[in-house]
Amino acid sequence: MSFNIDWTGEFIAFFALAVCAIVGAVMALNFTKVVHMALSLAFTFVSLAGLYVVLDAEFVAFVQVLLYVGAVTILMIFGIMMTKHQDEGQEAARPLLETLAAIGCLCLLAILIFAIRDADFPDPAGSLPADTTREIGKLLFARMAIPFELVSVLLTVAFIGAVALAKREEEPK
Amino acid sequence: MEPLRFIDKPLTWGHAGLMVLMAVAVLAVVILFVTYAIYFERKVIGWMQFRKGPNRTGPLGLLQTVADVSKLLLKEDTIPAKADRGLFILAPALAFIPSFAVLAFIPYSQHLQFADLNVGFLYYIALSGVTTIAIVIGGWASNNKYALLGGMRSAAQMISYEVPLVISVVGCVMLAGSLNLRDIVEAQSGYFWHWNFLPQIVGFAVFVVAAISELNRTPFDLPEAESELVAGYHVEYSGFRFAFFMLSEYVYVYAIACLTTILFLGGWHAPIPQLDFIPGLIWFVLKFAFVVFCLFWIRATFPRLRVDQLMGLAWKVLLPLSILNIFITAACIELFGMGG
Repeated sequence: MSFNIDWTGEFIAFFALAVCAIVGAVMALNFTKVVHMALSLAFTFVSLAGLYVVLDAEFVAFVQVLLYVGAVTILMIFGIMMTKHQDEGQEAARPLLETLAAIGCLCLLAILIFAIRDADFPDPAGSLPADTTREIGKLLFARMAIPFELVSVLLTVAFIGAVALAKREEEPK
Repeated sequence: MEPLRFIDKPLTWGHAGLMVLMAVAVLAVVILFVTYAIYFERKVIGWMQFRKGPNRTGPLGLLQTVADVSKLLLKEDTIPAKADRGLFILAPALAFIPSFAVLAFIPYSQHLQFADLNVGFLYYIALSGVTTIAIVIGGWASNNKYALLGGMRSAAQMISYEVPLVISVVGCVMLAGSLNLRDIVEAQSGYFWHWNFLPQIVGFAVFVVAAISELNRTPFDLPEAESELVAGYHVEYSGFRFAFFMLSEYVYVYAIACLTTILFLGGWHAPIPQLDFIPGLIWFVLKFAFVVFCLFWIRATFPRLRVDQLMGLAWKVLLPLSILNIFITAACIELFGMGG
């Protein structure tokens, strides 16, 4: 294993963002208040968006911030704030379960390390286009038009379903 | 000045220092803008109400904002006993950071821009969503019902108005054939009737209304409606934390004024090409100042909307109008070959 790394801006940005993403995820598990968890999750989402920027995928990055941080997190926070949380607090420790979980995690880590070390990453075919956003648009509306339309039908169905559910709750007055 | 690319090169102390220096320079410009925007806001509103406005501190009252800010910074910093301490402290910073970060992508003139992003406008929308979280969190962490109500109103309003705001810009994007702000400005070159505010008059109207609402300013300042909510989400904040909320609000004014200039008023282009000898930056600043003045004007002269009217306006009027605008723009591009 060798660590002769070029300290490029890319490497430093990747390192910082990766640490941020992991810290956010760990904090989300460790906090006891649900609002804190939602916020640290948002922190992880932002760090992931930063990683996408490092990978030159600006469109994906800012859609990630827009949807996950802007919409999903606010939805979670709204839901949490509108409900009562009297029974928050430390749960009783379960030593057997925790040991088993730790062993499982270590095994998963070992498998991942082996898999990543054995994998060979082929060079990407051709370089990235200069305007990635434009290319995404072209793909979505030309080659991927049918899946794209199917997804929008799915979203419309979900939307109508949400409206129908909300309407039904209103009736018994 | 080419947009500086550091990402593939080794990060030396020189590069890092240059980046920090540029950020500090932008921060200085923004702080200066905010200081005098507040001064001019009070002056303009005073003038419209037959008052003098601030005129005692310094010559013509020019140091009034400086005095106000130093008062805020010297004030006792109170944190309510039952507040969620961590989040209460975090919220003002979380509100300010994205507001400052959105300034990175604004092209002031052909050559002066910090980051040339091909997603352009999406960047602004994405980051301003983070400020919404900060406002909700600030309202919730204060543990005060007025603050919570203000925070909720603010979040609901900002999310609702984000939708027509984004869709109203799509027309400009279609005419320019690019999301990149620099390309959008380039597509508006020529005489002032080529600027997007005439071909995209519906989009422009929707954009202005939605933008004022995004800024939480009158007539859409329900989150801080003092007659109903005492002060809104920042009712428990004082001292420099309050200053941070105000600062981020004015930085968003700066960002929205820049965006209006870029998207609809031709950016750095002169109204007629014969005036091109005047540098683009000056045209940009003039248009920018005009937009900011209009925001103050609106604040001085409009009454506040009611909360139920507010949501109705966003979903029932602005959203259909902006979608209609997209269809009309597409039809014009197809039938008359407008745009690129």
